[in-house]
Amino acid sequence: MVGTEAYVALSAVLFTIGAVGVLTRRSAIMIFLCVELMLNAANLAIVAYAYQWAGTGLLTGISGQTAVFIILAVAAAEVAIGLGILVAIFRNRASTDVDALSEVRL
Amino acid sequence: MVTFAILASVAVIGALGVVLLRQPIHAALSLVGTLLTLAVLFVTLQAHFLAAIQVIVYGGAIMVLFLFVIMLLNIEHQRKEVQPWLRWAAYGVGLVAATGLIVGAMLDPRQVPDHAVVRDTLQGGHPRLIAEVLYGEFMLAFQLVGVLLLTGMVGAVALVQRPRPQRTSAMIDERRKERASDALEAGGR
Repeated sequence: MVGTEAYVALSAVLFTIGAVGVLTRRSAIMIFLCVELMLNAANLAIVAYAYQWAGTGLLTGISGQTAVFIILAVAAAEVAIGLGILVAIFRNRASTDVDALSEVRL
Repeated sequence: MVTFAILASVAVIGALGVVLLRQPIHAALSLVGTLLTLAVLFVTLQAHFLAAIQVIVYGGAIMVLFLFVIMLLNIEHQRKEVQPWLRWAAYGVGLVAATGLIVGAMLDPRQVPDHAVVRDTLQGGHPRLIAEVLYGEFMLAFQLVGVLLLTGMVGAVALVQRPRPQRTSAMIDERRKERASDALEAGGR
């Protein structure tokens, strides 16, 4: 069994790759995919810590897994709304390039 | 150890595919690979139920929705790129951040609890145990997620719905004439 730190390191790598993707891609749908990757990296860290602390009691370990369960539900809602916005934007301007949406900036 | 190494490398390769592949479809399928690998990693962390949920909800529902939207919008790969210096700056920042996070994780190695103890405690993240916590400690979060999902559903439908064409009096007159001529034809037969 590898240590918790190995899982957390893998989670960090995945999170950073996702963050780099958010910074370098232009298409909104690709940015969205990278955000999903970051979300999953965070989930992996939570489950790894739940495993680490399971020795101290059932509630601690299961609470971590339950939190991930709730995050999954939130992610599902987020994807539905995000893709809805994307389809609405695409209908209006036939492009998902985020740089073309500059009039939305503050 | 070997299991983790294989799974971790597959997950990282999949994640790199998401960032580097040009076609959105390829990137989405690459992300599916990473998500399924994460499900297997959940199994190694005694979270069997979460692994199943990960495959069903993420690998199934969410990624199918993504692929559906990519195909619906028919997005080809984009020729315009971000400015080269910005790309390299992002890679640099990513490298520094990843190194920092990994070093931070490795600086505090903890004694991993005995596998048998954890297995007996968590029982593979049994749904019954998760349900007990979800409907106990997490009751408020559970209800808020319910409200969020409902709001999200209504919002998504409202966003995508096209405005109905306004019925003008001219249209109604036209429809009446059509009906009248239909009736005449039916009567003449």
